[in-house]
Amino acid sequence: MNLEFTEDQAVLVSSVENILDKYAELPTANRRDYHYYARDLDQALVANGFLDAVSSMGSLEAVLVVEAVSKIAPVVEIATSTLVAPHISAEELPRPLAIVSGDLSQAQRYLSVAKAALLDTGDDILLIDIRPGDVEAVDTIFAYPFGRFTTAPDLSKARSLGAAAVGPFRQWRQVALAAEAIGAMRSAVDFTVDYVKQRQMFGHALGLFQAVQHRLAQCHQATCAAQYLTYRAGWSGDPLDAVLAATYAQSHMPKLWFDLHQFNGAMGVTNEHKLHFWTYRLRALQSEMGGANEGALQAAERVWGKVA
Amino acid sequence: MELAWAQEHDQYRERLRAILARELPSNWMQDYAHGRGTQGEIAFSRTFCPKLAAEGLLIPHWPKEYGGQDGDAWEHFILSEEMWTWGDPRGPQYMNVNWIGPTLMKFGSPAQKEEHLTRIANGSVIWCQGFSEPQAGTDLAALRTRATRTNHGYVINGSKIWTSYANGSDWCFLLTRTSDERRAISVFLVPMDTPGIEVFAIPGLVEEGHIHEVFFKDVEVPFSALVGEEGMGWEVVTHALSLERVGIPRYHLGRLAMDAAIGKLKREDRYGDPLMRAAAGRIIAKLEAARMLTYLVVDQRAKQQPANAMTNIARVSNAEAVTDTLNFLMEYAPGCLTSRDDPYLTLFYRYAITNTIASGAYELQLNMIAQRALNLPRERRQ
Ligand SMILES: Cc1cc2nc3c(=O)[nH]c(=O)nc-3n(C[C@H](O)[C@H](O)[C@H](O)COP(=O)(O)OP(=O)(O)OC[C@H]3O[C@@H](n4cnc5c(N)ncnc54)[C@H](O)[C@@H]3O)c2cc1C
Repeated sequence: MNLEFTEDQAVLVSSVENILDKYAELPTANRRDYHYYARDLDQALVANGFLDAVSSMGSLEAVLVVEAVSKIAPVVEIATSTLVAPHISAEELPRPLAIVSGDLSQAQRYLSVAKAALLDTGDDILLIDIRPGDVEAVDTIFAYPFGRFTTAPDLSKARSLGAAAVGPFRQWRQVALAAEAIGAMRSAVDFTVDYVKQRQMFGHALGLFQAVQHRLAQCHQATCAAQYLTYRAGWSGDPLDAVLAATYAQSHMPKLWFDLHQFNGAMGVTNEHKLHFWTYRLRALQSEMGGANEGALQAAERVWGKVA
Repeated sequence: MELAWAQEHDQYRERLRAILARELPSNWMQDYAHGRGTQGEIAFSRTFCPKLAAEGLLIPHWPKEYGGQDGDAWEHFILSEEMWTWGDPRGPQYMNVNWIGPTLMKFGSPAQKEEHLTRIANGSVIWCQGFSEPQAGTDLAALRTRATRTNHGYVINGSKIWTSYANGSDWCFLLTRTSDERRAISVFLVPMDTPGIEVFAIPGLVEEGHIHEVFFKDVEVPFSALVGEEGMGWEVVTHALSLERVGIPRYHLGRLAMDAAIGKLKREDRYGDPLMRAAAGRIIAKLEAARMLTYLVVDQRAKQQPANAMTNIARVSNAEAVTDTLNFLMEYAPGCLTSRDDPYLTLFYRYAITNTIASGAYELQLNMIAQRALNLPRERRQ
């Protein structure tokens, strides 16, 4: 056992962070938006080979890249491309990639910027190519771009990735979700901790009050816990670890959302404050893949077996 | 990052399991379910620990010069996981080997080391921890039990409370006040059969015979009973407490309890309930998270890094996961509190209440995380 990063992993994280430093700031025109998709960062990550982390280094390394990118306020579609695609297809898939599910006429995360979408039909994973005009943007307050199909996609023309892709798709989608979540959780906690150190009420920084400290300490603990479960899922490639990481992260999102917004007060309700860039990303992730209860049922089945 | 066990650690675990299978009587769990702190448990500890010592498994983490093997922190922790699988048949002797012995290595006089370390290493002596008092729980420095210097040594007056195993202990690692200054505290090593010491069991929610009140009336001890200098007890006790970074592997106890409870629910044909399974799945995620954070602390210790807030984070994680496990049992398997048909569950049920109170209350862990990890200001106290 060794829970420290290797030197290569540490170098990887710091080189991603170097790139992120240049793109972490929101352009002035987008400062008050609900989300900002950073196309220039997307290109920079591709150009520097970070999206090939799985093949060049490994899945844990890909988790580290996704986590780092998810810490900044702008978003790019990287989790599915980096963590899911390499596990379900030997060929490179078009990107940005959306994952669509449920009622396809409804808003789907990343669909407005996607070049292709993945659909889990139960016994196959389909790759749906998206051409201009196939989708339209949907305005939401979530901190991701959302889009919907303008006309229902013709699934008979979609490419089948095969039944064998279903298991890995679900597993690595859970890891991807958890990796995005831990980046956003960390930034939301850090942002709030900074805020309560500065904001003065009753003659003291808000962060002096134990009622505030304890809940932030719990949020910090939950973030560390989600982080290490996610690293384990990336390291082991075990489907149980994947579902545990996603379930843990999703089941703690309501607490983080409540506590962190609470301590940012009315400031956190405005778009002038950056908090929503992370909390409303967590909100979007909270219900994906059936949410924490669905994950918990899967975890129970993997640990104690199916219902007879 | 490498999350697989090293081969030597797997072998170490296998060896421990074989020894436990050989040494524990077949009715161990049934007898054990009568509780920690019973005379039966203490008596078993006196025969079991010498056997562990003979196998080199009581103090593997101690330095070679004191009879240990300079074993790494992982071995020490694997030992703890395996012992706790059986409710820790070492009984009270986890205190001796985890922190009393190592504290004496650092602060004890040559004579104290000679007298105590050998006996602890043999597994033949029972100690209790005399820290808490009615008015000094989390605020330990408020303790009032006083040791007054005389020509021959010290005379101790006062009382201790919640003292585990005091009924069967040979020695007490005792904290006293030696002057009115708040932190003027001194540690004494006191034989429990010294005249003037009286022990009373306190009935409680944990098992019978576990917690006690201990009264000290004009108890005379020689100068040689003092650990270090007079008044340096705070330093001694801070060191002692730091040695228990992770303590009991609670995620492991929680996991065993969940496995037992689900086994029971399956036998009762109740495993089909999706609400129950969803609750159980969330708990498994929490227990496994607590395991990872605990391993992180063990890893830091194995690398001899100083303790940091990760210790408190791991404790909070364990505390919450175990509390959820307890609530799960209450909701879905309340019978185990009354039926005693599963000794492990009965015991877990009763003992887990201490999880957020003893050895550093949950809120104190949160205070430490806020201050040490988040750098939030310390709230002013009187
Ligand atoms: C089963 C069991 C065995 C024990 N064995 C021993 C033993 O062998 N030897 C020994 O010396 N002691 C022993 N103890 C005592 C244990 O160490 C104390 O319970 C512990 O130190 C807490 O003290 P207290 O119970 O007096 O709580 P108090 O100090 O009265 O605190 C009560 C509660 O107030 C809250 N609180 C306290 N301080 C703060 C703060 N600063 N900020 C926020 N909240 C706060 C916490 O929720 C805490 O649980 C044992 C206790 C139990 C339950």
